[in-house]
Amino acid sequence: MRYAQPVDQARPDAEWTREFEAAARRPLRERWRYAFIRTYKPVLDDVRFRAFDTMAEYRRWCEEHLPSWLGYGR
Amino acid sequence: MAARFEYAQAEEVRDAFARHGARYLFLGKSGLILLGFPDTTQDADLFCLKDRANGEAIVRALEELAFQLEDVEREAIIRGKDFVQLKNGPFDLDLIFAPDGIERFDDAWRRRIDVEGFPVCHPDDIIASKLAANRAKDRESLPRILAFRDWWAAQRR
Repeated sequence: MRYAQPVDQARPDAEWTREFEAAARRPLRERWRYAFIRTYKPVLDDVRFRAFDTMAEYRRWCEEHLPSWLGYGR
Repeated sequence: MAARFEYAQAEEVRDAFARHGARYLFLGKSGLILLGFPDTTQDADLFCLKDRANGEAIVRALEELAFQLEDVEREAIIRGKDFVQLKNGPFDLDLIFAPDGIERFDDAWRRRIDVEGFPVCHPDDIIASKLAANRAKDRESLPRILAFRDWWAAQRR
């Protein structure tokens, strides 16, 4: 299984490659520290638990309840 | 709001899930980060085997990790509802029992990558799930993720 890159999207540029190489030189613990951040996400962070019977139901809930700028919509 | 997910907590997840025999894979951006993808995220996504015994094992592991689960929440995990979002513990965690774009847990398990004991979905499975989800944030991140997949695969040759 392998997915081709859409033709209208840029191929990896030198800057991305440099970033990948730099990350590979860091130990996992350090990469993790840089990667995990915490900011408040409205609605999403306002309850302690959610569960959805199906992914379709979850996607629909995201579309209907989350601000579009969070990027969870389609 | 839970605190940032620290590396030591990720190790605790790995160890608690292993102690209780829970079967799961890191998925999504947290999985890519384990593989070396330089980016940021807020929570970890775990693709879990949908099976009652596995759900019970996950509940035991989560309670050991200090997640505060009520009966109805335990039952949702044990039943393996497709998507469970936990914000009732020391860090945020999404449990995904039927991710878009990946048909069977066992297939993904066979393709997994082990990163210092963390079981991680193969990047092609993570890409498949993002393509299938097709959210705005996935479309935005996919070109760089695809570039990373190609770079990562070249390093392994």
